Amino acid sequence: MRHLLIDGVVLFNDFVLLYFIALNATYLFLFFVSLIEVLKFVKRTFFSDYEHILASDLTWPISILVPAHNEEKTIVETVRSLQMVNYGEFEVVIINDGSTDRTLRNLVEAFELRRLDKVYRRSIPTKNIRGLYGNLMMPNLIVIDKEKGGKSDALNAGINVAKFPLFCSVDADSIIEENALLRVVKPFMEHPLEMVAVGGIVRIANGCSVHEGRVTDIRLPDSALPIFQVVEYLRAFLTGRIGWSVMRSLLIISGAFGLYKKSEVIEIGGYDSSSDTEDLELVVRLHENCRRKRAKYRIVFVPDPVCWTEVPTNMSVLIRQRNRWHRGLLQSLWRHKAILFNPRFGIIGAFAFPYFLFFETLGPFVELLGYVAVTLSVVLGIINWEFFFLFVALAVFYGVFLSIAAILLEEISFRRYPGWLDLTKLVVYGILENFGYRQILSLSKVQAFWQFLRHRRGWGDMQRGGFRKRGPGAAGAA
Amino acid sequence: MTQPFVLSTAGVYDLVVNVLWTVSTVFLFLLVVIIVNKAWRESREGFAERRRAEMEPALFRYVMGTEPVEKFIPSGVSRRDWLVLEKVFFDLLRVARGNVNTRAREAFESLGMVDHYAGQLDSRRWWLRAEAAEKLGLMASERPTRRLIEAMTDPIPEVRIRAAQALGGIGTPEALRPLVGALRDAGRWSAIRVGGMLIAAGDDAVDVLLEEFRNLPDAARISAIDIFGRIKSLRACRLLLDLLKDPAPDLRARAAYALGMIGDPTNAGALAGCLGDPEWSVRAMAAKALGRLRETESVPALSAALSDPQWWVRANAAEALRGKGGAGQDALLHVLDSDDPYAAQQSVQMLQESGVLDTFVGMLVSTAAGEQTRALGVMAKLVKLRRIDLLTEVARDHPDRMVRQRLAALLGLPAPVA
Repeated sequence: MRHLLIDGVVLFNDFVLLYFIALNATYLFLFFVSLIEVLKFVKRTFFSDYEHILASDLTWPISILVPAHNEEKTIVETVRSLQMVNYGEFEVVIINDGSTDRTLRNLVEAFELRRLDKVYRRSIPTKNIRGLYGNLMMPNLIVIDKEKGGKSDALNAGINVAKFPLFCSVDADSIIEENALLRVVKPFMEHPLEMVAVGGIVRIANGCSVHEGRVTDIRLPDSALPIFQVVEYLRAFLTGRIGWSVMRSLLIISGAFGLYKKSEVIEIGGYDSSSDTEDLELVVRLHENCRRKRAKYRIVFVPDPVCWTEVPTNMSVLIRQRNRWHRGLLQSLWRHKAILFNPRFGIIGAFAFPYFLFFETLGPFVELLGYVAVTLSVVLGIINWEFFFLFVALAVFYGVFLSIAAILLEEISFRRYPGWLDLTKLVVYGILENFGYRQILSLSKVQAFWQFLRHRRGWGDMQRGGFRKRGPGAAGAA
Repeated sequence: MTQPFVLSTAGVYDLVVNVLWTVSTVFLFLLVVIIVNKAWRESREGFAERRRAEMEPALFRYVMGTEPVEKFIPSGVSRRDWLVLEKVFFDLLRVARGNVNTRAREAFESLGMVDHYAGQLDSRRWWLRAEAAEKLGLMASERPTRRLIEAMTDPIPEVRIRAAQALGGIGTPEALRPLVGALRDAGRWSAIRVGGMLIAAGDDAVDVLLEEFRNLPDAARISAIDIFGRIKSLRACRLLLDLLKDPAPDLRARAAYALGMIGDPTNAGALAGCLGDPEWSVRAMAAKALGRLRETESVPALSAALSDPQWWVRANAAEALRGKGGAGQDALLHVLDSDDPYAAQQSVQMLQESGVLDTFVGMLVSTAAGEQTRALGVMAKLVKLRRIDLLTEVARDHPDRMVRQRLAALLGLPAPVA
């Protein structure tokens, strides 16, 4: 029996080691691809005349869609910030998705809205619309009041009302930077026929000061949990998405901030309400549709249009959020399993899908079982303590290395956290996240896998604190 | 027992140790790079700020005076000082006008900056060539015109665009032809920037565009058509009217739109004819264009377009009617009786958005002969169409009790409380 156990542990250890090498080689590859791209991007951005996009009649007009469910604390501020966006022609469409709080009331009062008899064009089926609101003095603001149908349904209703050829989905608890639309639309200007969707970067607003719908003072959050997420977001966006985008196999555009060609989205029937992560599912379906049509297309990520968002400040909310993200990933991988290793889908089938299946999906299992197996190996005398510590140190150092690499990319390119203290904090938290934080998130992903098998769905509640205000009376608003 | 073939062997132990050393060395290296990069950048910025504060008063005296720039600059300026000087003059160009600008530009020439950047146009690195073209554009010296025209054939689009922009900024007539040529660059991004320069050149650009139009590929023609529209060139109307019959639907649609931008009402007949085009995009653009013309001749055609099978054509036609004053308003009111629910609903939306329905609500309590009857008639049509969201709200919130009562009665709502 003991021999059998030892055999099993040894085999598993071998697998873990090989898995570890393959995973980290992929990460390293993505980092180098991203590094080259970021350096190129910085040069290109120096030569970008955003004022020409702003002034030109040839610039695509954009409909900004903001689904809102019980967002009474932030919705008015969000709309104000969107109204101040630096862009030529745009409209803001807020979709009140069956809120039970004062979301609609606050909007009606703040912007003096009236119920209007606008034509609702049902290009994509949605839940019933209760009313359309507007203010004749602010023709670029429309509020849709509808029965609760979830974020996807709300976005579909927004697409039905949107009058422009491009739409930008923005979360109600997020703030997009003044020039974000000018920056995110640029790929559509460069490749108007091929571009299908563009994602921008999502940064964490916890700790930052917000004044009149603008992030005015960029600071790292005060508590540990959001700082861990800052490091994580930097890693995910700057070394992950840039790399995938360069390889033309970007599968995720954050739901908090993405720009899409409306006709392409309508063609695939809009957002899928049955998915837990509508953003990922939409992008995968767009890829699938374009590949099936054999169309020349592009879905890209650009790192300089910024959307600031609040992240969870307590562990249980964070776990619920990550649980949902992982469940959504599993759903999409399962639904589109035909893409896996299918030559028709090119690099998506050959590299991106296998990566998400073998590393993102199985990674948490391997990681957690790896801890058990390596500990067992010490107990059973397969490896000695010295080797154990070496192995753990290697795993930790690799995690740290990737975080530091992401911080380096940030430092040589965008430098949103300019102070020495912020930089030191990022480095320290980049190290600390490997001791507990990473493991807890892995556990939540394992739990998500179990829930996926049991077909459990749902979003859970995200508690919002509202943005930290600057100026008199700000203390209480943090 | 299976032999542990990986982890327990000494080779693997060594491998793990080596990898660990490598990773930790790279980690430390990255850390050092981050720190050095940040420190270097901050020191550079600090130096530039200090030197700027030291040199700025003398440079301001130079631009306000008449003496040569060399008298105001300390001898032996370093390369870093040179960049500070350049930045001060560029900042001045941004905010100042007239003589100050001329003096700043003279300084670029006499300090050798123009020649330096003209030489940089030959660099092997594309971003240095683009930077040179960009800066030469800001310096607006005519000296490097020939070099910039050569740069219009650079293999990198960014360099070509910058060179085009520089030529546009210099404003020499020989720059126009290469600029029109630059419209051939694929991509809306290029078209926007080159278009902006040609528009700034105004009527002078129209002649070159008209001459070159037939030689341009379709994508560039679309940009050229937009430029005609934005320059509002009446001389281009003949060509644009011909293009309304072009076999390419994109060209027909853009030509219709450009005719709307030009705004000559004598083109209304031709545009109204386009409302029967087999391509919906052409019909939609024609409707939009008609909305920009100050005429009423097209009202019947636009009213008919409210029943177009395509949503965008209906929406644009309704919007166009909204801008046609009394005649358009009458047409929209007339469409409320239409059998076509789509047309009627578009009319309601336009009448609401233009505030016409609010006027009719006010007329519900009017004492002028016939006004009340007319208002009641319009309200009855809305009730029949079931477009009563706004009316229901007005019946609840209107400050005039009589209006609330009338509307409540029309809508079958309980009588409002006094």
